Amino acid sequence: MSDNPMKPYLGRLAEVKDLGTEIKLFRVEMLNGGNEAFCNCKPGQFAFVSAFGLGEAPFGIANTPEHGPYIDFAINRLGSVTTGLHELGEGDIVGVRGPLGNWFPMDDFKGKNLVILGGGIGGAPLRPVIQHVLDHRGDYGKLTILWAARHPSLLVFTDEYEDWRKSPDTGLHLTVDASDPTWDRNVGLITDLLKKVNPSPENAVSITCGPPIMIHYVTRLLGEMGFAPQNNYVTLEARMHCGLGKCGRCNLGEKLICVDGPVFNMEEVGHLLETFL
Amino acid sequence: MSTSQTINKTWLISQEALENWLDSLAKARSLIAPRDVDGVLLYRPVENSNQIKWGFTRPVLSAKEVFFPSTERLLKIEKTNQHVTLLETLPEGQTVIFGLRPCDARGLQALDALFIKHTPTDPYYARRRENTAIIGLACKEMGPTCFCTSVGGAPDDSDGMDVMLYETEDSYLVRAMTEKGLALIPQTEWPLTEEVPAPAKMDAPLYSLPQQNSWPAHFNANYWEHVSERCLSCRVCAYVCPTCRCFVIRDESLTAPGQFERIRCWDSCNGANYRRIAGGHRPRSEKGERLRNRFYCKFYYYAEQYDLGEETSACTGCGRCVDSCPVNIDITEVLTELGRLA
Repeated sequence: MSDNPMKPYLGRLAEVKDLGTEIKLFRVEMLNGGNEAFCNCKPGQFAFVSAFGLGEAPFGIANTPEHGPYIDFAINRLGSVTTGLHELGEGDIVGVRGPLGNWFPMDDFKGKNLVILGGGIGGAPLRPVIQHVLDHRGDYGKLTILWAARHPSLLVFTDEYEDWRKSPDTGLHLTVDASDPTWDRNVGLITDLLKKVNPSPENAVSITCGPPIMIHYVTRLLGEMGFAPQNNYVTLEARMHCGLGKCGRCNLGEKLICVDGPVFNMEEVGHLLETFL
Repeated sequence: MSTSQTINKTWLISQEALENWLDSLAKARSLIAPRDVDGVLLYRPVENSNQIKWGFTRPVLSAKEVFFPSTERLLKIEKTNQHVTLLETLPEGQTVIFGLRPCDARGLQALDALFIKHTPTDPYYARRRENTAIIGLACKEMGPTCFCTSVGGAPDDSDGMDVMLYETEDSYLVRAMTEKGLALIPQTEWPLTEEVPAPAKMDAPLYSLPQQNSWPAHFNANYWEHVSERCLSCRVCAYVCPTCRCFVIRDESLTAPGQFERIRCWDSCNGANYRRIAGGHRPRSEKGERLRNRFYCKFYYYAEQYDLGEETSACTGCGRCVDSCPVNIDITEVLTELGRLA
């Protein structure tokens, strides 16, 4: 991080492309020393992205440094900052402040089967996990990806599904809440898909990110399926303003999502999750 | 700030000598002191001692705003087509604050734990703390809503002061507490004294706080819904509180084209949309959940999250929230009632 933790690095948009309806991928080339700060960032960490003049908002970093030298953010246009970002194009300057927060303990996951559950834009912080596993395929057991969205047009990283499927011992399962005529896969909630795929809790960990209500029901179901709380990982979000454990906006009981998280296991936060809903 | 830094020197000076001293301090640095601003007593810059309000209980707002302003600029942003320049705007200049009450000094220690000790240090707050010397003024007695003695404070507590003043019958005892404070004192002009300050009157009621370990058990109590029924979510309790520090960061346009500032403003966890996230999801949408969070933050979370030393709460007992709440939600009453639940 820079000397002044409130001052972002500058970054140039190297590529902006549509990922889905109102969802864009922003590929940022870091300027003025930002590269050094981000070259060791870990899957699960986040950063604030500035649309200068409108403000900044936190987003999960959507790639590993090995897939650099750029930093990817998948951003859904919802509020003023994200609308401002969506109006920018290649060559424009954004601010990036980070990397912030903890990360998925990828070393502890070695040798284990991984079940990854992503809902909508919640898939973004899970993409570096998938990239890391595919890049170090021999270090990990079976990889099961359950990927969901409200509508087929909201599924993110669709052009990477083939690569994921081709990876050994890897399964990708898609579902949408509401289909359209082009859709020939599952229709239904991710919990229904999870029941259908029915991954074994044996030597396995789960990683979930999505809307709060999805996290709630998915982790509950995983618990019922025999996954122990300490093996169910989630990454949480709040509309934090500093990301440094100071602004007070992201507390979950006595925990602060920005510095104690955003990655938690359910043993740590299961009893607090109710206040997150 | 620790007592090990205490310098054991005390002087006895008249009101006139005090005012002369403050006038001379005001020449070299900015002087902040209790001042009547349109009928509201606040810690505000004064040009000289004539503008100081004497004989006060405590200002309406705490000294929080001196170090953590209600709105402050973090960065100036200059934007042209594909070029952005960020200018840091760290506070500069030396300041001395006069008349700080012990509850407010204690509030600063809680803010220090968050903004300075908890890394990364906030450079804006830290710079102001570093550049500010604190001349405290002991309270002779406790005000009608004060309860500092219930939360481990005292009306004549000198903790956190660089210089501590005690009012006597017709003069002041001045005690240097730190080297920073000693450097402000015209030692050759003032007579040293062996006199010790008379103990402050501590006749305010003592409230019993819930045991620290009982807080988790009160989390799901129906009490929160009950006590919050009359809460207006007006957030005044947070703004007058010396230790409530929630903030937002946002950008504002300046008049010149392409010029913006990134500002930080006070906020409060009692606000209805405080936790609203993109897409409209709104955790803690009930008033009871929000009021509960403020109490838990003050009396339980804060000491878990930040290093408060031996303190278990971030409440200083200043009583400002009791004075300001438009629907009379009284923190001492809430604590007493929670204690009874146990």
